[in-house]
Amino acid sequence: MSHITIQNLSAFYGDHHALRDITVEIPEKLITAIIGPSGCGKSTLLKCFNRLIDLTDGARVSGKIIVGNMDVLNGGTDVTDVRRRMGLLPQKPNPLPMSIYDNVAYGPRLHGVKEKKKLDEIVEKYLKIGGLWDEVRDRLKSPASKLSIGQQQRLCLARGLAVEPEIILCDEPTSALDPVSSQHIEQQLLKLKNDYTIVIVTHNIHQAMRLADYVIHLYLGELVEHGPANEVLENPKEERTRAYINGTFLADVKADQEINLKGNMCPYNFVYAKQALHALEKGKILKLIVDDPTAVTEVPRGMEAGGHEVVSVRQQNKTDWEIIIRKKS
Amino acid sequence: MNFRRLKDAFAGRLMLAAAVFSSVLVFIVAIALYLRSEPILEVKSLGELLLGSAWLPSQSIFGFYPFILGTVIVTALAMVFAIPLSILSAVYLAEYANERLKSIVLPLIDLLAGIPPVVFGVFGVLAVVPLVAGIAPLFKDSGIPFLNGGGYATGYSVLAGGIVLAIMVFPIIISISYEVFKAVPFEVREASLSLGATRWQTIKHAVIRTALPGIAAAVILGFSRAIGETMAVLMVVGNVVKIPSSIFDSTYPLTALIANNYGEMMSIPLYDSALLLAALILMLIILFSTLGARLILVRIERRMHG
Repeated sequence: MSHITIQNLSAFYGDHHALRDITVEIPEKLITAIIGPSGCGKSTLLKCFNRLIDLTDGARVSGKIIVGNMDVLNGGTDVTDVRRRMGLLPQKPNPLPMSIYDNVAYGPRLHGVKEKKKLDEIVEKYLKIGGLWDEVRDRLKSPASKLSIGQQQRLCLARGLAVEPEIILCDEPTSALDPVSSQHIEQQLLKLKNDYTIVIVTHNIHQAMRLADYVIHLYLGELVEHGPANEVLENPKEERTRAYINGTFLADVKADQEINLKGNMCPYNFVYAKQALHALEKGKILKLIVDDPTAVTEVPRGMEAGGHEVVSVRQQNKTDWEIIIRKKS
Repeated sequence: MNFRRLKDAFAGRLMLAAAVFSSVLVFIVAIALYLRSEPILEVKSLGELLLGSAWLPSQSIFGFYPFILGTVIVTALAMVFAIPLSILSAVYLAEYANERLKSIVLPLIDLLAGIPPVVFGVFGVLAVVPLVAGIAPLFKDSGIPFLNGGGYATGYSVLAGGIVLAIMVFPIIISISYEVFKAVPFEVREASLSLGATRWQTIKHAVIRTALPGIAAAVILGFSRAIGETMAVLMVVGNVVKIPSSIFDSTYPLTALIANNYGEMMSIPLYDSALLLAALILMLIILFSTLGARLILVRIERRMHG
C-alpha cells in the first residue's frame, strides 16, 4: 500500500532546478530511506512533503503529492493540516525555548487541547514513546535546552509524535549526534514503524541498510532508482546507484588535472571546466573544485550532456565541492 | 623589538584607562550630585522632600512628589503607547513585510530616531497639544478614572507629553526589536510550523518568546530615553506644579523642573541644592528601574535557557 504518491514533482530555487520530474510512491508503515550525495535534492523532497519549502524565498514547486486523500501542493489545502499529519525530525535538534513539558505539549495545545490532565497524559505517553521519559520524569519543568543533544533529539521526536501524525519525516536525524545517541534514535524509529510511515533522508549508506525497507536514490535532483531496500542496496540495477553505494567506500580517484574554480559564477565555471577538459586526452580525469551552489548540479549535468562521465560529486567542506569528470568524447 | 613591546603595553593600558574612565564617570556624577544636594538633605527629612506636594522655594518648602509623579506618569503613558505600537510594527516588518516595503520603511524609522528633541517639541506644540485640547472635552464627564477632563483644557498635558515621548521612543524600540526578531533562528520557526502551527501561532508562541530578552532590552533602552527626555516634554506638558488627577491635566516632570529653573533665582537659599537633588532623584529612578528590568530579564533568560 502506498501512503505518499509523488507525481511529476519538480522544485526550483530561483533558476536552480533542484528536483526534476520525480514520480515515486512511498509505502505505508515502512521505513523509506532517501539516499544520495549531498545537494542531490533529498532534503528538498522532504520539505515538499510538509511544505516547509514554502518558507524559502524564490522556491517553486510543480507536480503532485498525494497523501491519503489530501493533495499536499494544492493551494487550497490547509498547510497546517498537512504538517500536522507529518512529524518532522530535523537534522539538528531544535527544541523550543521552553520547558521539556511545554515542548511536548506545544503541538496539542495549538490544536486545542487545554485540559491539564489530558496534557499530562499526552506528555507522558509521547515522552515514553520517544524513549526519554525515564530520564526526564523528575524535571519536566526544566528548560529543554538543558538536555544533551541526543536527549534533545528524542524530545523533538516525542514533540513531533504528540500531534499524532501518520508520517514521520526525518532529515538526517542522526548527523549531529554521537554514536550512542544515534543508535538510540535508530532503535526508536524501528519501534515506530509498526504505527507510522517513516521517511528518512540519509547520506549514510550503513544507516539506510540498518533501517530501510524501501530505498529511493536521488542524484542531482533526478530519481535514479527506487525499490525494496535489499534490491536497491545489494543489487542495484542502475550504474549510478552502484557507483554511489560503492563510491562511499571508494578511494580517491587520481586526477590528471585539477582546477580550482572557486569564486567563479555560472556559467564561467562551466566554460573554464569545458576548456580544461578540451585540453585533456580522452580517458583522462579532471578534478574541479567549485563553491557556487548552482555549479554543483549544473556543471556535472552539462558534462554528462557533452558525453563525458561524471565520476563523483562530493562535498569537501561547508562551501567547497569536488567534481570528478572523465573525458569520453 | 623592545619598543614594539612597549607600544603594545602602552596601548593596552591606554584602552584600560579609557574604559575605566567612562565607567567611573557614572559614579563621579552621582557623587557630585550627592555632595551638592547635601545642604538640603541636612535640613529637611527625606520623607518630607519626597512626599511633600507643595513647591514654594521662597518659603523654603520643597516637595518633590508632584515632579516625581509627573515624570513617572508621562513616561509610563509614553511606554503604554510605544510598546504595543513598536512591537507590532517590528513583528510585521520582520515576519510579514516584503523586501521592498522594508527598504522604504526601515530608513524612515531610522530617520525619525535622528530628529532632534526640540523639533518633536515644536511638533507637539503645533499638532499634539491642539489635538489633545480638542478631544479633552469629549471625556469631560466620562467618569473614567484618569480620563475625566476637568473643565477647561489647554491641551498642555500629561497626554500630550506621553504622545510626544512615545513618538520619540518608538523608532528606537522598533529598530532594535526588528533586529532581535531577525536574529531568531529559522529552526525555531521550523519547529513550530512543522507541528502544524499557523504563522501567527508561531510568532506568538515561539518567535516572540525566543526574542523576549532582546525585546525587553529594547524596551529598557526606550524607557531610559523617555524618562530622561527634557526638551520635547517641557514644551508640551504645561509645567504646572500640581498632582495630575487626569491625563488631560498639566504636569511638571523632574527634567523640566531642572531645565527650566537651574541658573535662575539661585539666590534663594537651598534652591540650587533642591534642583540638584531633583537630578539625583531622576538618576536614581533610572538606575533602579533599569536594574529591576535587567533582573527580570535575567530571570526570563534563566527560565528559558537554564
